[in-house]
Amino acid sequence: MRALRSGLLFAVFSALAATAIAQAPAIGAAAPDFQLTTLDGKAFSLSSAAKAHKAVVVMFISTQCPYSNAYNDQMKDLANAYASKGVLFVGINSNKTEDAAAAVAHAKAHGHTFPIMKDPNNKVADLYDARHTPEVYVVDPEGKLRYHGRITADHEDPASSPDLKNALDSYLAGKPVARAETKAFGCSIKRV
Amino acid sequence: MRRAIALLIVLAAAPIRAAAPGELAGELDAAGLRQTLAREKGRVVLLNFWATWCVPCREEFPELSKLQRKHGPAGLRVIGVSTDFAKQKAAVRTFLSRQRPAFPNYRKKGGGDDQDFIEAVDSSWGGELPFSVLYDRSGRKVRVFSGALPVAGVESEVRKLLESR
Repeated sequence: MRALRSGLLFAVFSALAATAIAQAPAIGAAAPDFQLTTLDGKAFSLSSAAKAHKAVVVMFISTQCPYSNAYNDQMKDLANAYASKGVLFVGINSNKTEDAAAAVAHAKAHGHTFPIMKDPNNKVADLYDARHTPEVYVVDPEGKLRYHGRITADHEDPASSPDLKNALDSYLAGKPVARAETKAFGCSIKRV
Repeated sequence: MRRAIALLIVLAAAPIRAAAPGELAGELDAAGLRQTLAREKGRVVLLNFWATWCVPCREEFPELSKLQRKHGPAGLRVIGVSTDFAKQKAAVRTFLSRQRPAFPNYRKKGGGDDQDFIEAVDSSWGGELPFSVLYDRSGRKVRVFSGALPVAGVESEVRKLLESR
């Protein structure tokens, strides 16, 4: 009986995992719209922000994950560098293990002045099937997904191939993004 | 001189496997991982990717040792691969010396493109940790597990694979 129960649980787990993978938005398809509140209390709507910018870079981030923290300076520098080019960077913290106070302190410590939002019950992470931190999505003014993946090619070397920067430069120049879907290591998003 | 060169060649080609309990067995890139798995044909393999800072990874680590001790004699081989940063090698060694796992552990070799390594493991893997892959005795990939392992279910699956020759 115990073996049967274990088998059933195992099958359910596998089915759920397969479903989650199938929900990930594809490049060129509509990026799911969402509304959240920033850490400083302002309402944020992805569709509104996208219409007001050339692109919005949605970054799933963490205060504790070493992979995400390895990119703190690059997140700040890219957000500042691309603001003048009409690109808005935003951070989303979906980890149930990191509260708003921790996210505020982390942003302050690392000079992150871009909008950051807590994602209660990881609803936005689920909409995007975001698996880990850092994980990045670039959304155009029409709400279409232009890039999904990593910031650079090697998490141990911040100077390795700058895939997010390359994608933004190509997109802003009206060229196709050569590598629109990339992968890198990250910490699992701690879901409810 | 020729004998010394021949010895060097043999040593360079030899798999880095004979690590003491609690020590890293070596470093792996995508090709090294494939070779390591190829050497285990004939065994059921549970490949587990972890990092010292990853809480669910640390929590399931003792369970992996239990699986190895219980089913190792029947042909199970658990293999761990740490994806900790190069600068955290000392933390990896400390972790392993405390855990004294019943299975070999490697570290993912630094450098190169993360995606090459990730894709070599499984195309559905997004790079999140922990991540595990179960292979049958022929080396065929049977299941992948994103996130914490459902240990009871995995054990039942391992048992079935060990029983099927």
